[in-house]
Amino acid sequence: MDSITALLEGFATAAQPEYLLYALLGVTLGTAVGVLPGIGPAMTVALLLPLTYTLDPTAALIIFAGIYYGGMYGGSTTSILLNTPGESASIVTALEGNKMAKAGRGAAALATAAIGSFVAGTIATLLLTLLAPTIADVAVQLGPADYVALMVVAFTTVAALLGSSPLRGFASLGLGLFIGLVGTDTLTGQQRYTLGVPTLADGIDVVVVAVGVFAVGEALYVASRMRHGPIEVVPVGGKWMTGEFWKRSWKPWLRGTFIGFPIGTVPAGGADVSTFLSYAAEKKLSKRPEEFGKGAIEGVAGPEAANNAAAAGVLVPLLTLGLPTTATAAVIVAAFQSYGIQPGPLLFTNNSAMVWALIASLYIGNVMLLVLNLPLVKIWVKVLQIPRPYLYAGILLFAALGTYAVNFVADDLIVLLVIGVVGFFMRRHGYPVAPLVVGLILGPMAEEQLRRTLQISEGDPGALVASPFAAVTYGVLIVVTVAAVVVRVRRKKADALV
Amino acid sequence: MIAEKVEEYAFGGLVAAVGVFTLVDASAIAVRDDNAVGPRAFPYLVGAMLVLTGIATIVATARGKLGRAEESEDVDESVRTDWVTVGKLVAVLVAHLVLIDVAGWPVAAALLFFGAAWALGATWWRALVVAVVLALVVQVVFASGLGLSLPAGIFEGVPLLDG
Repeated sequence: MDSITALLEGFATAAQPEYLLYALLGVTLGTAVGVLPGIGPAMTVALLLPLTYTLDPTAALIIFAGIYYGGMYGGSTTSILLNTPGESASIVTALEGNKMAKAGRGAAALATAAIGSFVAGTIATLLLTLLAPTIADVAVQLGPADYVALMVVAFTTVAALLGSSPLRGFASLGLGLFIGLVGTDTLTGQQRYTLGVPTLADGIDVVVVAVGVFAVGEALYVASRMRHGPIEVVPVGGKWMTGEFWKRSWKPWLRGTFIGFPIGTVPAGGADVSTFLSYAAEKKLSKRPEEFGKGAIEGVAGPEAANNAAAAGVLVPLLTLGLPTTATAAVIVAAFQSYGIQPGPLLFTNNSAMVWALIASLYIGNVMLLVLNLPLVKIWVKVLQIPRPYLYAGILLFAALGTYAVNFVADDLIVLLVIGVVGFFMRRHGYPVAPLVVGLILGPMAEEQLRRTLQISEGDPGALVASPFAAVTYGVLIVVTVAAVVVRVRRKKADALV
Repeated sequence: MIAEKVEEYAFGGLVAAVGVFTLVDASAIAVRDDNAVGPRAFPYLVGAMLVLTGIATIVATARGKLGRAEESEDVDESVRTDWVTVGKLVAVLVAHLVLIDVAGWPVAAALLFFGAAWALGATWWRALVVAVVLALVVQVVFASGLGLSLPAGIFEGVPLLDG
């Protein structure tokens, strides 16, 4: 029951007017970047990092968490109302939601997405509250070899499950790990891969990489194949909430929540996978499967709930183990580190007040997001219509500003440009960018744990699998990988037969 | 199609080349004692991974398995690559980073915004107005509000703009 007292204290902190304002700022920014194509929460958090050094860590993290949750809400508005959906996590929503909007039922689609996100976000945050302290207690006993095992799992799932090609996922991960190597080795003080350039001696800043690969890479990519002509937004029509609306939505919301949360918690591909699973489940359970593909409300309610529950689930390994499993989570880990705080099992003992204020702000943020996204949806429709030349010019300007503000040296902008160009080619050739960011941030942590393991064992690699936890983890990973390969091969064979 | 394949080979080659560089340069990292796990071990792993994935992508490309370009709301997959616009944006970014120290942040920023918006198809005078206003507002906010001052350049000594 300690955690309930702690949570109440967290609410007392988060409910102070100052922190409420930061939460509001975070969720508003998050919704805006979720609505706008071309920028996502990962990049926004990265951009704000240098600007928030003057704030206290609790305030900054409340803003970042708000952006993280807000991005999930905003994305669904775009996929329902814009004629040209993108962004993997909301593709499924676009499938049914877009059809609903075009059939004049946009209001109901927006409502089920927003309320579903709220229900799922709140239940998932509750589960996070209950689970996180317990997991942290167990995680305290994990040794370096166990962390190596967990990181190998995170690397594998992030690289293999995101994007269409696991091979390119691993290449992207490798590039991120390489960028993470550049700089001064923390254990021996050796310079590595700095080419003797002083700018590189401190390593390449996370902000520069994240902003380069997301903002500059995306802007160049859009410029190369820009969609011209007016931005077509489907007008919001129909009734918002009817009796039938509630009747058809509440079960998919709950099912989505319980599909999404575990998938987010176990590093298994995050939001994308959970939305697909939820969609498949709803289609199977529906009494009206023929409506799917033509605008079935269950196909919006379930995946949207799953999406948000997964987002909250991702916070479990993030807060209790320090393991980021998505690009945004990785940047948030970098944010913790910039304040000298290492997320992980000790967070709940060493920075207890801060963590609980953060968790409390998630509950508050969810309520704010419901208000922002339902009654105020018209504002976001306006934001969605910003002419693209100005939008991308603005993204480039703030990308350059955020990068420059890290150290106030123009040399960082050269690194930004180079990484931006790499990000551009990665997009052209189907290399997912998230593994790069996760590799960059998790890489140095993995190296440290690996070296610590081998130092204790005096170089005996057997130590990596000696602990039961690590052995089981690798075992599960191997089984899952083999199963995934088998499924893939079978599906290919089935496709070949058709 | 052929151009796409060449690019795909080139990017795979780049990944492998970064891997080779990682491996070669790893052997140059000084190791202090004979401890088996010094600063070299992890770079060897990373290098090997890059070489393997780079070569595997080249092989996959040769077998006709090309990467699928990413989908995005603002991207029209049916049109051909507009290299000129990409080039313009890169040029504008280069001009921005050169100008920061020479003419100051407000000028460099206005040029970046104006150049990018114009290259992407905005009306030139409207883009210019927005660029100038945005650059000045950000400069003032930084100088007065955030306590982080951006180089004022030609506006040095001007109240509000020079922090």
